[in-house]
Amino acid sequence: MSNTSHPFVGFGLGLRTCYFEEILATQPKVDWFEIISENYFVDGGKPWHYLAQIKEQYPIVMHGVSMSIGSTSEINFSYLDSLKKTINRVDPLWISDHLCFSSLGDFNSHDLLPMPYTEEALSHLTERLNIVQDYLQRPLILENVSSYLTYQASQMSEWEFLSELHNRTQCQFLLDINNIYVSARNHDFAPETFLNAIPEKAIAQIHLAGHSDFGSHIIDTHDQPICDHVWQLFKDFAKKRGPINTMIERDDNFPPFKELMAELDHARSLVPKSWSIHDFT
Amino acid sequence: MTSLEQLQQDFVNMLNHGSMDFENHIAAQEGALAPTQRAEIYQNAYRIRLTKVLEQDHEMLGLYLGDELFDEMVKGYLARFPSSAPSLREFGDRLPQFLSEHQPFSEHGILKEIALFERLLLKAFDAGDSKTLQFAQLQSIEQANWPNIQFQLHESVYLLTCQFSAVESWQALKSDQSPPSPDIQSPHHWIIAREPDKRTGFYALSTCHYHCLTSMQNGLPFGFVCEAAAQYAESEEQGTMQVMELLQKGIELGWFKSDIRVQQA
Ligand SMILES: [Fe+2]
Repeated sequence: MSNTSHPFVGFGLGLRTCYFEEILATQPKVDWFEIISENYFVDGGKPWHYLAQIKEQYPIVMHGVSMSIGSTSEINFSYLDSLKKTINRVDPLWISDHLCFSSLGDFNSHDLLPMPYTEEALSHLTERLNIVQDYLQRPLILENVSSYLTYQASQMSEWEFLSELHNRTQCQFLLDINNIYVSARNHDFAPETFLNAIPEKAIAQIHLAGHSDFGSHIIDTHDQPICDHVWQLFKDFAKKRGPINTMIERDDNFPPFKELMAELDHARSLVPKSWSIHDFT
Repeated sequence: MTSLEQLQQDFVNMLNHGSMDFENHIAAQEGALAPTQRAEIYQNAYRIRLTKVLEQDHEMLGLYLGDELFDEMVKGYLARFPSSAPSLREFGDRLPQFLSEHQPFSEHGILKEIALFERLLLKAFDAGDSKTLQFAQLQSIEQANWPNIQFQLHESVYLLTCQFSAVESWQALKSDQSPPSPDIQSPHHWIIAREPDKRTGFYALSTCHYHCLTSMQNGLPFGFVCEAAAQYAESEEQGTMQVMELLQKGIELGWFKSDIRVQQA
């Protein structure tokens, strides 16, 4: 399936349960919200009650965490079926998941486990991506994950791996600049090398998030404010790349909503004025 | 097995069983972390993530058990029932079973009941949203059809019978009080359901109302529900009154689906 580029729709926030009521009450200046797809694999109740109202006012993007596209187990079609039903109900602008594996057979780690950067993994992912996209009848955007180890088996760098996957499938990526930063620190490479190596047309979305620094290594906890270095990487990338859909991702240790809005406004302040699609001033 | 399959299998065995064959796949890198420590980051993350799910889903059970026993429970549960579903919300589904089958938890029947009660609260939270029965609908039922009417319980309704003071203990812990003695004279019946404002509520049920609701759940029409009620009331008339009282309360609280059926004789 050929992937078409998504238009620039601005700056989004991750939609999390604790903010539902405040969003409806205050109608914040957010261009779009990203939901965690699996949180809506339920029949009803609060999640759908609030999403139905929020999606009347904001475009929605779907981001999955459990597809396990890199797994060598058989493709989980019952998962894909739930995803498809949710897609039909939400009508998202686009959908994404992670370039990783999470489950194997009956075991689910609920973590985003890295793939080895090998020829074998490339052909495996190429095949799986085609099957998934055919089944869903739409492109699937893949996010780079943070990693804490390098495999002996890897034959290329992560950015070479992503670029080659794009060459073979035309798939697009959701680049999480924090994840790149985390992996760069843990594996001692320059994050700019990664960011500059991915073909421009292969990038569909950006995630910005925070992490926890343990000195010897850092962990992608998504529970802290975005660090200065990640902001700088984003600023440089944005200047070079031009308008790109960008989102602040917070998954834990939720601050008051206005703090996330301040981060979103900071992201807006780092890009040229010409990016603006809504005049929120 | 291909090398990718082997790598993934070893990774999973490391997380699930602590098997360190996986370390052979990790490249030695410059810097502060050895391969073992790199593997441990994933092991810790796995354990912490799933522990957190059980802590969040079973907050009062955690208070009832105390930290040490709760940790022992989590360890045992992870070993016995590792997560298999893509969604974390299903991870704890077999916790009541685990508590009833494993020492020392199985010696205290109340633990399984508290866990089950907490699971049902979670299930009610995001159950289906079908429309609820309204009073006006009752008025449109023809007199002659009443005995054959089948009322259906809403998807968010769960019934629970406890042999111990599980729900009372949950309530006490929730309001920072010490739980009562686990023993009770006779079983206590409960209904758990999502209320019209989408909050999850629960109510004590009389034995009569509990049996009315289970007979509705089993698809029995109104006439049979009244007969069931009569067994727990002083007279047939009293039984019917009990059912009417239950209908009134249940309509107010959204316990029934708006979709009512007339069973053809
Ligand atoms: Fe991300």
